[in-house]
Amino acid sequence: MRIISKNKGPQGRNNPNGDPNKCRRIRTWLYRAVNSRLGIDANWVQNHIAGCPRCRRRLAAAGKVNLALSALKAQPHRIDLLMRANSQTIGVLKHSLRQAPKAAKLKAMLPQPTLLERWRKYAHSVANLAACITIVLLMKVGVFSSMGKFQTEGQKVVKQYYASQVGQDLANEVFTT
Amino acid sequence: MFGKTASYELTWNFAVSETVDQSQRWILSAMQRHGQELITMLWRILGNEQDVCDAYQSTFLQLAHYQDRKKPEYAKAYIFRTASNVAISMLRHRIAERKRLFSTQGVKRDLSSPEKELDYKYLVETLRCCMAQLPEHLRNVVALRDMAELSYAQIGRMLGISPATARVYRCKAVQLLAVWMGKGKEEKQ
Repeated sequence: MRIISKNKGPQGRNNPNGDPNKCRRIRTWLYRAVNSRLGIDANWVQNHIAGCPRCRRRLAAAGKVNLALSALKAQPHRIDLLMRANSQTIGVLKHSLRQAPKAAKLKAMLPQPTLLERWRKYAHSVANLAACITIVLLMKVGVFSSMGKFQTEGQKVVKQYYASQVGQDLANEVFTT
Repeated sequence: MFGKTASYELTWNFAVSETVDQSQRWILSAMQRHGQELITMLWRILGNEQDVCDAYQSTFLQLAHYQDRKKPEYAKAYIFRTASNVAISMLRHRIAERKRLFSTQGVKRDLSSPEKELDYKYLVETLRCCMAQLPEHLRNVVALRDMAELSYAQIGRMLGISPATARVYRCKAVQLLAVWMGKGKEEKQ
């Protein structure tokens, strides 16, 4: 908060769209949006930003931080970095630790995808399987047979209606086909 | 008599060292469990492979010599905080070294060109410089959240704060970073 108050300058006071409360609310929104990577789509936010140079500057700055963080995360390192770091570290540990069987394993360790990443490719298959299991369970429970019963009852009611309106013979003819 | 005492002492020393060795095996386990996340965090903070290896080594050496070689109560927190501190020290040292080099050579870097603004390397370096200047409590949260990609709940547990406080700290850190990263540009204009 202290930093923002430093930036309050004459430009802010002469802001044509100048509602300080709105600015404050939008400021919170901006950083929250950057935090959660959400777009700032609300009309009132967009309208305010279009007319307020301070908020525009803030949005640009927050976007820049976001971009820098994304660029930082996107930078790849060599695949053997973990192996090298482990080897270097184990090299300076005590002799007994250096000789441990786990140490040899660590020296040859490569980055492994996490359990979630490994299972992500099976997500669609799992969803399909879950849907199938749900259908089977519903059949087992008797939801579908109940639905069939409802249908038969419904047909009976309609047949009765037809019989009362156009006669039994005609109704029989219609409902046998 | 003297020989007997010496042999008892040797046996005792061997037994003690064996116990210490057994008890320090957890260092290797910790390396196996957290190594990958730690390397990711260090790489993002430092961006230099040799520095990453050095910071990683320094972290585990500090862990091995922690309070009479005992295992810390919350080893993960200790490892990540130590690694983050070591990496930031190295980063600060590197920034100071670069500044000194530029000042002694009298070279002024031209950062005003629009290409520089879009240059991701420049952007990332600026972010690293600004991150090194953040106050400790904010920097810890940014390092653990954005560099190590831990959840707010984990960060809260590690730093002894609530997840909501961790969120607030990150928000404040982004505000500060935005102001500092924008300041350079304004100064040039």
